[in-house]
Order: sequence, then C-alpha cells, then structure tokens
Amino acid sequence: MTTQTPAISVRSLSKCYGALTALADFNLEVARGSIFGLLGPNGAGKTTLIRILTTLMRQDAGEVLIEGLDPRTHGREIRCLIGVVPQENSLDRYISARENLELHARLHGMAVGRYRRRIDELLELMGLAGRQHDMPDTFSGGMQRRLVVARALLHEPRLLFLDEPTTGLDPQSRRAVWEYIKSIAGRMTIFLTTHYLDEAEQLCGRIAIMDHGRLIDQGSSQELKDKLSGGTIYQIDFADNVDAYAALLQGMACVKGVEIVEHSVCVELVSWECLAEVVTILNGAPVKRISLKERTLEDVFISLTGTGVRE
Amino acid sequence: MILRGSFAIWRRDMLVLRRSLLSELVAVVAYPLTIYLAFGIGMQGYIGLVEGVPYGLFIAPGLITMTAVNAAYNESVWSLWFHRRVQFTIESYRVTPISVSEIVIAKILSGFTHGLIKGMVVGGVIFAITPFRFPLEHLVAYLIFLVPGSALFSCAGVICGTIMDKPETIGKVEAVFIMPLIFMSGLFFPLSSYPPAIAPWVRALPTTALFEGARQALVVGILPYGSLVQVAVTALLVFVAAVWIFRWKLSE
Repeated sequence: MTTQTPAISVRSLSKCYGALTALADFNLEVARGSIFGLLGPNGAGKTTLIRILTTLMRQDAGEVLIEGLDPRTHGREIRCLIGVVPQENSLDRYISARENLELHARLHGMAVGRYRRRIDELLELMGLAGRQHDMPDTFSGGMQRRLVVARALLHEPRLLFLDEPTTGLDPQSRRAVWEYIKSIAGRMTIFLTTHYLDEAEQLCGRIAIMDHGRLIDQGSSQELKDKLSGGTIYQIDFADNVDAYAALLQGMACVKGVEIVEHSVCVELVSWECLAEVVTILNGAPVKRISLKERTLEDVFISLTGTGVRE
Repeated sequence: MILRGSFAIWRRDMLVLRRSLLSELVAVVAYPLTIYLAFGIGMQGYIGLVEGVPYGLFIAPGLITMTAVNAAYNESVWSLWFHRRVQFTIESYRVTPISVSEIVIAKILSGFTHGLIKGMVVGGVIFAITPFRFPLEHLVAYLIFLVPGSALFSCAGVICGTIMDKPETIGKVEAVFIMPLIFMSGLFFPLSSYPPAIAPWVRALPTTALFEGARQALVVGILPYGSLVQVAVTALLVFVAAVWIFRWKLSE
C-alpha cells in the first residue's frame, strides 16, 4: 500500500432496499489525512454509505476500498483501522465511563497496560477524568458525546467516521468537539457527516454534497461557492426612498435582480466590475452602507438539493 | 474462531450481574419459592406420593430447572433486545474487530451463566427449607442436564431477542410458548397423566426430555442418556439457528 492510496475509494456503488434506491452509481475518493465532509438532506443516502464504509452493511454493486482493503473480504482488518462515532451515543448505561472504554479496548484486543494508559490519556483530554467512575446516563449530552469520541479514538484508528457528531449539543459543547477534531486533524483521516453547514465549513478541507443516493458535487467550501451560478450580490442600506432606488437599480443593464429587505436593497450584479456603475448612479442618494453579501455553503446546498422538506 | 470478543462481552454482563446480584436473586427466588410453598408444602398432604416420591420432592427438580431455563431465556432475550433496540451497543460492538458470531456466543454464554447461577441458588434455598438430601453424584448428574438445558433456552432467547422488535411481543412469546412448554413437560404432574393419544407428542418435546431427565438425575441418580442427547442436540441446532438468524437480521 502506497502513501498515495486514498483512505476511502468508492466506485460505482449501489445499494437498494427493495424498490428504494439508497445509493446509485456513487463515486468518491477521500485523501489520507484529510477532513472530508459529507452533506445531504435526510434520506440522501449518507447513513447507508457510512454503514457500507464501516463494514456494517454490504453493497449490491460497486467497489469500496478502505485503506486499500475491501470490506467484503477484509472486514475484521478494516475494523481495526477505523473508529466510528455513530449518530446515537450507543454507550452502555449499566457500566461506568471507564468501563465502557475498557470493554472496547478488550474488543480491540488491546493489552491491559496499553489500554489503561490510553484511557487515562483520553479521559484527561476529554475532560472526563473526574467522572470516569460514573455511569454515562448521569452525563450531559456533551459529555456523553465526548465519551463516544474517546471510545472511537481508543485504539488509535487511521480513519475516523463521525456521523453527525454534534447533533443535539449546545454551542459550547459543539465548539469543544470542533476544537478536538481540529486538534487531531492530519494525524488521521476524518470522514464527517453533518446537517450543520457551518460545521462542515469550519472543519472540512473537502465537502461532498449528495442527494437521492448520488453524489451531486464536491470540492472545498470556496470551490463549491464559486461554482454556484449567479452573480455577485451587494446589500445597499438606504436612509429612505428604498422603493425608488430599487426601481432605479432594477433598470440597469448590469443588474440581474434586486430584492428589497426593509431599508436595504440586495442587488445581484452580473459581475463585481459593475459595482462602479452602481456607485455612480447612486451618487447623492442617502446610502448608509454598501456591503458584499457572501455566498454561503447553505446557498450552495439549497441550490443543489432544493428547498423541499424531506420525509 | 477467536472468542476474545465473546469473553469481553460476557465479562461485561457478569460485571452488571455482580452489581445487581442481590436484587436479582430476591426476584428470582421469590417465584419458584412461592410455587414450592403453595404446591409442594400446601398440596403435599392431599397428593401424597407421585411415582413413589413425596410430591414436594417430585416438583423440586422441575422448579430448579424452570428457574434456570427461565433465567437463561430472559437474560438472553431482554439483553439482546435492549442492546440492539434501546442502547445500540450491538452496533458499537460490530465496528470493532470481532465477528457477529462472537457477539451471539457472548449473549448465549451470559444467559447460560445467569441460568446456572440462579438455578443453583433456588436449588440451595429449596434444599435449605426441605428435608430432602441428595448424594453428590445425583447433583452432578443433575448439573449435566442443567448445562445443555440452560444453553438451549439461552439460544432460544437470543433468537427471540433478535427477531422481535417490540417488548410486548417478547412478553407474548413467553406467555404463549415458553411457559406452556415448561408446564406441559411434567413439572407438576407425571407424564402418565396425559391421555395416550397426546403422551407420545409431549414425550418428543426437548423440554420434556430436559425436565424428566433432570428429575431422574436428581431424584433417582440415573442419567438418561437418550434424553441428555436429545437436549444437547436440540441446544446445538438452536445455537446454529441463533447464530444464523442473528447474522441475517443484522445484515438487513
């Protein structure tokens, strides 16, 4: 296996549940050491993909390689290499936090001396050392999540799957998980699914967007935003006469569209070079502020997957 | 097959059992002890001897066996259902380098251990409050029956805990299949009480082989090999079925 071997390679992957197609001709490649984000609305096929990648499910067709190994024939070897943070906390509430970690260390076949040291390290790192002998159901949501992350990292995996790792957490806990993910970046490959677009933007070097079982687009956050069709949008705040100035701007050849939002007009220009023309035509107008309205990842996501609510 | 995973999960189950042992045993002992006091002592004066032994002695082996197999079944069925449907711990085990068979073997072992421990405790209590005493070889012969019997019910529990998604269904299966099978197997009455047309069918049941064989082993001290083989072979078949069903269900 060379260092160029991708951490994850997926080719023409398909999976159906009866008549429902969960994955259709899905292709993906994740470079080693990267943080890769997978976005998609509910029912897009993210969970099915993660279940196949983590050896919990078999595909109907196509090829998957995890660190160069096929999950259909090397499931056990792959499970030695991966750590998984599932959507559900899946902690054992009848044994203490430390015992949860010890159980998983034994399932990974770690030697006693090694796992004791590693557990001490991780509990300290996750801020759970003081509560290690308590049952997990006495923990806050953030603490439980940190314990699940610690469990996934226990055996020092090469590839970490994080399935919606911060769902249900308060902002402080979310940021704590983000900080930790950032701190381990580079040491292992991280594959993250999330509904929070700011999370993907903050953490992921590359982002893929999928829907209806297919990969729609992928790239860095900026690349995806740049691909979004449409011109540059500026927001112009007026002291008064908003409607009149909106009509004036609407009449300009380089303006693709305007939208009035209270005392502001959002102007979509054909290109940023048109801004000079806009400033000229507004000479003497009661302009309080002109600001560039950045495209967000959410704009990209909505434009690619639509606005309809999924079941 | 490396059973490292099975041992780790079994060890976890035993840790949980150890922590709740007293409350578990109180609950486990209460039911058969009540039955024993009501039937074995209360009815003994009216019934007298059954197949040449006092009624209290006649039902004692069955009550111990019932406790053991019930405990084995209940531990397996509820543990598997809870870990699969509520705690999702089975999912967390499955992303570690152990096989699905190791998980199912662990749950069968745990059910079996629960059955054995609880059966022996109930046996100890019944022997403590009755004048019946048995030679050591009778007890050993009885244990030889109890081992495949507990394993059989533990495997059955694994199957039910695997295929049933609703807790109320598990309760119904116990009421409709498990308890009737136990009671029909001659727990409270001799098999000679059955009408001739039904008796061969009842005798063919592996549960009958278990309860009858266990009684003969404990009371008379003989080891009916035919019954023992029947229980052991059934346990083996149910074990294979349990592993297959568990693998199939989890691959869905």
